[in-house]
Amino acid sequence: MTRLAPFLVGAATLLIAGLAAADPARDAILAAFADEAKAADAAFAGFSADRGKAFWTATHSGGKPDTPSCTSCHGPDPTAGGQTRAGKPIDPMAVSKNPKRFTDPAEVAKWFTRNCNGVLGRECTAVEKGDVITYLSSQ
Amino acid sequence: MQPLAGEPLRMHAVYVWDLATRLFHWLLVAMVAVALFTGFVAPEWWMGVHLAAGYAIVLLLVFRLVWGVFGPEYARIASLVRASRWLREYLRDLLLLRPPHYIGHNPAGAVMIFALFSVLTALVVTGLMVQGGEEKQGPLAGVIGYATGNGAKEVHEILVFVLLAMVTGHIAGVIVEGWLQQAPLIRGMITGWMPLPTDVPAPRLRRARPRPAAISLAVFAGVAALVLGLLSRLPPLGIPTMPANQAMQDECGACHWAYHPSLLPRDSWAAIMAGLSDHFGEDASLPAATAGEIAEFYQSYAAEAWDTEAARRFSNLAPGEPLRITATPYWVAKHDEVGDAQFASPAVKNKGNCIACHRDADSGRFDDQAIDIPPPPKTGANP
Repeated sequence: MTRLAPFLVGAATLLIAGLAAADPARDAILAAFADEAKAADAAFAGFSADRGKAFWTATHSGGKPDTPSCTSCHGPDPTAGGQTRAGKPIDPMAVSKNPKRFTDPAEVAKWFTRNCNGVLGRECTAVEKGDVITYLSSQ
Repeated sequence: MQPLAGEPLRMHAVYVWDLATRLFHWLLVAMVAVALFTGFVAPEWWMGVHLAAGYAIVLLLVFRLVWGVFGPEYARIASLVRASRWLREYLRDLLLLRPPHYIGHNPAGAVMIFALFSVLTALVVTGLMVQGGEEKQGPLAGVIGYATGNGAKEVHEILVFVLLAMVTGHIAGVIVEGWLQQAPLIRGMITGWMPLPTDVPAPRLRRARPRPAAISLAVFAGVAALVLGLLSRLPPLGIPTMPANQAMQDECGACHWAYHPSLLPRDSWAAIMAGLSDHFGEDASLPAATAGEIAEFYQSYAAEAWDTEAARRFSNLAPGEPLRITATPYWVAKHDEVGDAQFASPAVKNKGNCIACHRDADSGRFDDQAIDIPPPPKTGANP
């Protein structure tokens, strides 16, 4: 029993961490974006954290000149915080640091609407949104 | 009265200024100096010291009035009145550079004391009116509105220059008189003793009556405490009770300090809430229900609902930029001396971050005493 204890503690920790990352509300939000993506393109084969990272860190055009990238405000490291243009701190986007991220559909909708408009000058596609959430959930 | 022990024994000296009168004189000098310094030179957040000096001057004036009735001979108002009757003769003799010798105040000095008293009284009264009307502080906050307080400030500022002219005249008078009479007037106000020419007989002095003086002061203190206590129970004029609004705190506060509704008039807030998709260069659009709730809150508690300094002043909008508080003429003038580096410092970051320096910004009061500018960033620390 005593020899097993470290393994049991480790397994429990992994389980809890896994539960924290895999929030049912976040899964539902992702599932809705996946449905939307499939409806737009029957060949949609799932979200990609790599694509999400590329989108998150890319320098876009078409939006407001002060904010060409997600990282303009959120900062280069998703596990660290960012800062609004008005100077207010933004909590980390990485789900490991901030488990409440992407669990409220209204907040997710509000911020994607605002920030895609600010960075890209257009709405984001369901694939782009799902990729970003998948990337930040892996961080 | 006998010379005090340790006092240099002079032939024919007279104890003109009693200890209480001397203390009053020099404390008044000190308090007026503090009030002038904090009024003209010190930064805004020294306002508390300015107010303390003002209250101290009130106490000194009241004491001096009582002492003018019950004090010793040369402290008495009656003796000043008597001296002031000789003003015309005194001025004539002064022009001929041969003013006669007076014990106590000479006629010009006596008139000056009345004038100083009147101006100081008017200064503390208008000061209390400014404090109550503009700052919404002190005993008159519940009685006087912003416009009246603002008018009182104009008078207060003019009276200060009248006071400065009189202080200059008082000091010049002491120097001229001291030179003409060869009399140590300033030392006299420190030690109390003045030498008398041998041909002037020492006068018979009425003594002070400390007991009625103390009773009068106690009665005054009691009445003043009662009146001030009753007045301070009145809520300040023009400060409505504003409930907290969670939607406003959450949504506005997500990106910047949630601006107090009193800082702009209704029309400006309406335009801001109608233009959230391009909010100072940012898309800040909100679901209609949330935006509607916040817009209603700002309409209810916009500048028109307040009588505070910030509400009244910022209602004068910048031409061409009616939505930007930091563009209003008053804001610009008030932050003239705050450098760009200070605004950009890590603790402030942005001109719109009022609460970084105004600790009471969330109440809309913006008291001078609540200003607390964070230390500017150290430059050149990293080579």
